[in-house]
Amino acid sequence: MYRLRLVADGYSVVIGHDGREGLRLATDEAPDFIYLDLRLPGLDGFEVLERLRGDAATRHIPVIILSNYGEPELRERGLRLGALEFLVKADTNPAQLSESVERSIGPRALPSV
Amino acid sequence: MWADPTVTDGASNNLILEAVRLASRLTSADGQVREASCFALHSDVLTCIAASGPAETQPRGPYRTSEQAAFDRAITTGEVVDDDAHVVVPVAGEAGVGGIIVIEGTGGLDEGQRTALAAIARIVSLGMRQAATVTELQLEAERSRRLERLKSEFLNIAAHELRSPLGIIRGYASMLGDGTLPGADNGLALSRISEKTDEMARLISDMLETARLETLGLELELEPVDLLEIVDNAVLAMRPLMGPSHHFALASTRDDIAAVADKRRLTTMLTNLIDNAIKYSPAGGEIEISCEHDDREATILVRDHGIGINSEQAHLLFTRFGRLVTPETSHIRGTGLGLYLAREIARLHGGDISVRSNPDSGSTFVVTLPLA
Repeated sequence: MYRLRLVADGYSVVIGHDGREGLRLATDEAPDFIYLDLRLPGLDGFEVLERLRGDAATRHIPVIILSNYGEPELRERGLRLGALEFLVKADTNPAQLSESVERSIGPRALPSV
Repeated sequence: MWADPTVTDGASNNLILEAVRLASRLTSADGQVREASCFALHSDVLTCIAASGPAETQPRGPYRTSEQAAFDRAITTGEVVDDDAHVVVPVAGEAGVGGIIVIEGTGGLDEGQRTALAAIARIVSLGMRQAATVTELQLEAERSRRLERLKSEFLNIAAHELRSPLGIIRGYASMLGDGTLPGADNGLALSRISEKTDEMARLISDMLETARLETLGLELELEPVDLLEIVDNAVLAMRPLMGPSHHFALASTRDDIAAVADKRRLTTMLTNLIDNAIKYSPAGGEIEISCEHDDREATILVRDHGIGINSEQAHLLFTRFGRLVTPETSHIRGTGLGLYLAREIARLHGGDISVRSNPDSGSTFVVTLPLA
């Protein structure tokens, strides 16, 4: 759903279906932007974020967390780990998602995890 | 000395035990300490709750009141009975006689001993009533804890499981509304909205059914049904949820399977089982559903070729909110209510659900339902 909107807005999107695939894509595709879910098979989103931040090749890529969870503790943890924003899926429609990426980088390519 | 381990209140237990020990010391003429026991009476059955005496005391019984004439007489008349083999003293209960104290041995009691026994019976009565009150309070506290947990789990479901399909519905609706979705995708958006609306409806219905089960109990709405038709309908309802690599394989006898059952609840039971089969076979594969029956019972099998689980942990699947979360399954959403409700529904029909499963080779859920 989010992909449909982002593609319609001119972004190119690649999707990793679990944490490891996401990390691999982040290194191989060197995206301009990453959307990160928290509940993922294998590695969870926080672990992915920590590894992205720990790797010189991916450290600079802006990350927005996009999750079904909205608890303040999780939000705080995500922001502390270096996420730019923390969006709750139920409160974020696809148009707002597109705006969030424009705010940070303008229309270009992005993979999401 | 022996005290009933099922009397959970220690203070009451001690009080009763001390009183029975006192009764055993109302010695016979030859100076012997006697065997004394205390029995609680529940619907014509006497269960020993304390015993004391010279030998290594063991509880006697349980007895039906009719088996022991002297016991029966003490209970029906409310009077002390002395039949040369026992002295039986009735103990007052909530209404009428709630138990008896039995002192064994010949050689009746003198007047002073009888007065002492009457006092002992009053102490035992107090102890028994106190134990009953404490047990009631413990049950009430346990019930409140369960409801408290239910409440917090429901909040958790609302926060996560309900929000997820809601987010998708809102997202597609907003794109349909502002016209940002490419025209070709409108059909996709509508079918996703309808799918997610159904998912939310099922979730809410599972929550309400669980709440009802916990508070009032579920009352089945029984009517003559055809089990095959119910299975077909459940499959039809769940078909949109299957991934592209899933497919159903239905195997069953061609005759109707007539039963008296609650159609709506059985449909819930089956959709929950199918939902589980789809969710836990993320790589797809066949979901086999078969029905067999003989004169006495029908058996419905729901088999997937998914990730399966350890057989030792399988029983946990059916507990309320019991989900087996591993790193591989942590992303699969679920409330832990579906299988719990499914089994409760089978059991309310006099049947049951069991599971056979191995990691990596999928799971087979077996529903048995008695046929009227």
